[in-house]
Amino acid sequence: MKLHYYPGCTLKEKTTNLDESTYAAMKMLGYELVEPENWTCCGAEFPLNEEKIVGLAAPARILRQVEMEGGDKVVTACAFCFNVLKQTHIALLNDPLKQKRINAYLKDDIRIDPVTKERTTDFPEYRGDVQVLHLLEFIQKEIGYEKVRSLIRRDLGNLRAAPYYGCRLLRPKGETGIDEPDDPSIFEEFLESIGIGVVDFPFKQECCGSYLSVSLPDAASEVSYRILRSAKLNGADMVVLSCPLCYYNLDRRQDRIREKFLEFTGMPVLFFTQILAWALGVEAEILGLDQHFFDPRPVLGITDKAEVAS
Amino acid sequence: MRTILKLGKQEHRFIDRISELSGENVYSCYQCGRCSAGCPMAFEMDILPNQLIRLVQLGEEEALIASKTLFICASCFTCQSRCPKGINIANVAEAIRYLAEPKGKDHFGPDEVPAELADELP
Ligand code: SF4
Ligand code: SF4
Repeated sequence: MKLHYYPGCTLKEKTTNLDESTYAAMKMLGYELVEPENWTCCGAEFPLNEEKIVGLAAPARILRQVEMEGGDKVVTACAFCFNVLKQTHIALLNDPLKQKRINAYLKDDIRIDPVTKERTTDFPEYRGDVQVLHLLEFIQKEIGYEKVRSLIRRDLGNLRAAPYYGCRLLRPKGETGIDEPDDPSIFEEFLESIGIGVVDFPFKQECCGSYLSVSLPDAASEVSYRILRSAKLNGADMVVLSCPLCYYNLDRRQDRIREKFLEFTGMPVLFFTQILAWALGVEAEILGLDQHFFDPRPVLGITDKAEVAS
Repeated sequence: MRTILKLGKQEHRFIDRISELSGENVYSCYQCGRCSAGCPMAFEMDILPNQLIRLVQLGEEEALIASKTLFICASCFTCQSRCPKGINIANVAEAIRYLAEPKGKDHFGPDEVPAELADELP
């Protein structure tokens, strides 16, 4: 089955392991992912400021493209892109004036084909009908945990994963989140369906420090460490997440965290699609497990390149 | 002792502008403190999230623009999800930053990101 999928720039340039594992896992689940033609960056952050309405143009253009291609929904694996697209969807749906203003921008779009130099104008208005779903929601609502369970090929029953939601899957509170901001369970349900042990830990929806890892690295190390330590204290073998920035802060910065907190011995951090694809029997080599700072292969029992599905 | 707080035209203009930019009703805050209790970055802040809202209510533009908190808020929206009045302090902080910028107050530009981070930072 074909399904519109918006990867976002980070997944193509940096955390390619999230993108590639999403493709691999969805293939195993019977879906062919289709990227909207000519997609651009979503803006990375939904404008916090009512006057920066132009920030809605890029995400609205992506949604319009999905609509033009006959799609009624688009899924994302990146928590940030999900948040931007979903908040844009809601803003345009609930505010006819915003929808009008954004369509006024989009009306003047010109697309020039890089090869033929052919110009396309007269794009249709975006009507606001494209549903935005995070992959975890799509699995819950449309694929169903029963189906996922029936396709599992590797037994992960001896491992315990801590689901880390972070901010962008749950907040702002209201229509955006994929679950209740202070009492979510969708990630846990997902992990149960792939047969891995689930760890509940109190820092699952705490902020990882976001971009403070650039402007105030020490403060970011502190908040990131709180999360990793809490997962560890509760018996997790790994932290599983969906956001490239959380991944950067919780995995790629573990050297910085260790400099500040000497007792920290490290913790594997995986994208939810990597563990999903692994459980579904995808070979390790295409999951980008070698890109992690803390190598997750030992905990998954991957010692040699040639790992066979059990 | 009696203290009288008086908001002049300038303060009112500031408060209105913040409400307009942020889309938040800052008057509805009753200082319960839930925002600050749950804020993951509070330990680094000089003005706590609830104090930030209070200073907006008092039209204290200068104190707000001078505060470190503006650039420590990580926009995680935890305060918004817990506030009984649904106030999104990240939006209010952004509104203040927006007003602070023309006054020469900025914190960190993209050109200041160290080159070795730029390669892998999302
Ligand atoms: S939680 Fe809301 S009402 Fe309570 S102090 Fe903070 S902003 Fe004010
Ligand atoms: S959005 Fe800012 S003020 Fe609110 S909880 Fe997060 S860091 Fe604190």
